[in-house]
Amino acid sequence: MKNIKLCLALGALLLSGALHAAESGTAIKKDDLKAEPFRDAKTMATLAAGDKVDILKKDGGWYQVKSARGKGWVRMLSIRKGEARKGGGDASGVLALASGRAGTGKVVATTGVRGLNEEELKAAKFNEEELKLAESYASSKPEAAKFAAEGKLVARPFDYLPAPK
Amino acid sequence: MKRKTLWALTLVLFSTAAWSANPFEQQLLKTLKQGVQEKVTGKPATSVEEETAIGRQIAGNLLGAAPLVKDAKLQKYINDVGRWVADQSERPDLAWHFGVIESNDVNAFAAPGGYIFVTRGLYQMLQSEAELAGVLAHEVGHVIRQHHLKILQQGKLLDLGSQLLAKNIGGNDKVQGLIGSGAEIVSRSLDKDAEFEADRIAVVLATRAGYDAFGLPAVLQQIGHFAKDDGDVALLFKTHPHPDDRLGKLGTAMGDRFDTVKGKSLEKSLYRIRQ
Repeated sequence: MKNIKLCLALGALLLSGALHAAESGTAIKKDDLKAEPFRDAKTMATLAAGDKVDILKKDGGWYQVKSARGKGWVRMLSIRKGEARKGGGDASGVLALASGRAGTGKVVATTGVRGLNEEELKAAKFNEEELKLAESYASSKPEAAKFAAEGKLVARPFDYLPAPK
Repeated sequence: MKRKTLWALTLVLFSTAAWSANPFEQQLLKTLKQGVQEKVTGKPATSVEEETAIGRQIAGNLLGAAPLVKDAKLQKYINDVGRWVADQSERPDLAWHFGVIESNDVNAFAAPGGYIFVTRGLYQMLQSEAELAGVLAHEVGHVIRQHHLKILQQGKLLDLGSQLLAKNIGGNDKVQGLIGSGAEIVSRSLDKDAEFEADRIAVVLATRAGYDAFGLPAVLQQIGHFAKDDGDVALLFKTHPHPDDRLGKLGTAMGDRFDTVKGKSLEKSLYRIRQ
């Protein structure tokens, strides 16, 4: 009996350890912390842009997070994983992050040794054999439908999203 | 003003047509006429056959730079997932092709007509089949909205128009210029709005296919981790808006529309590449 209890406690400890090893994140915009991963759930607190969080769990489009403002569920897209962008962590980094300006800076392409750079792509020569091999793996509509059925994937209607104003 | 220029160009075309007999010139004229017609009528002048032929050429060039990962099960698997996602779009009848190519870069490429490739570097970052579906759906978005084809068409019109007006037509190299060199087109930056549009399409197609809509967003969050001067993401970051900006835009567009939709993540179904 005692042993089982110990095991459970140990298991819980391990589990929480695993969860705590989960990633940290940063709120990219102001958003509500909900009691449950639903829009209509009770609002526990409000995260401000730049708030640091620990990501505990994921459920669909929601993250369960722990922050200085409390624990709760927040929309996944309001959080970016990791610290603020490189060079961030200070106020200006977070502000740039919140305004979305940080990503519009000039990005310098480095010539990756292993990578596919523009020069390599420009100089690329047509490879008929490899293309035919690639084409040989094509899946037909019925094949794809059969594959989907095996994964219990069911097609459903869903409208395209309008572009945000 | 712009329209005037186009009509002037059309006139030049018709007057030129009278004396041109050379097959290369005829091809050039046909291409240019299509471009002009398109600008005037707003209707695409490239047939599905032409679109596929252009895409096939680009795909062959891309594979010349980076061959397929030699794992038949992997290649079949990505075609199954990709085709299922593409079939949820308004162009299910294209000859869709998907592949994983040998490169440590983190990137994915689409060519007209439905040729889509993901690098090994990107594939190995994926955690679930829903994430793969999201990435492929983004590229499917580029294909169905003909984002790359439009760039090619614009290029043709501009290049050929100026060549024609300068009465400097003829020669193999000019025809070669129609497709550009190698697979350069896949490294061109698309309009930022085209990327945001492909992201919006991706979450919808993934949802229609029965997957969790948040596969692509999860991948974008992972990619956001990379420092922008990391060689593996250099080309991706150069040709796309920063992942954080994409997530921000996508979040606004998705709003609460997906709150009641549950989809499958299928973590265990994701095929793992043999090392």
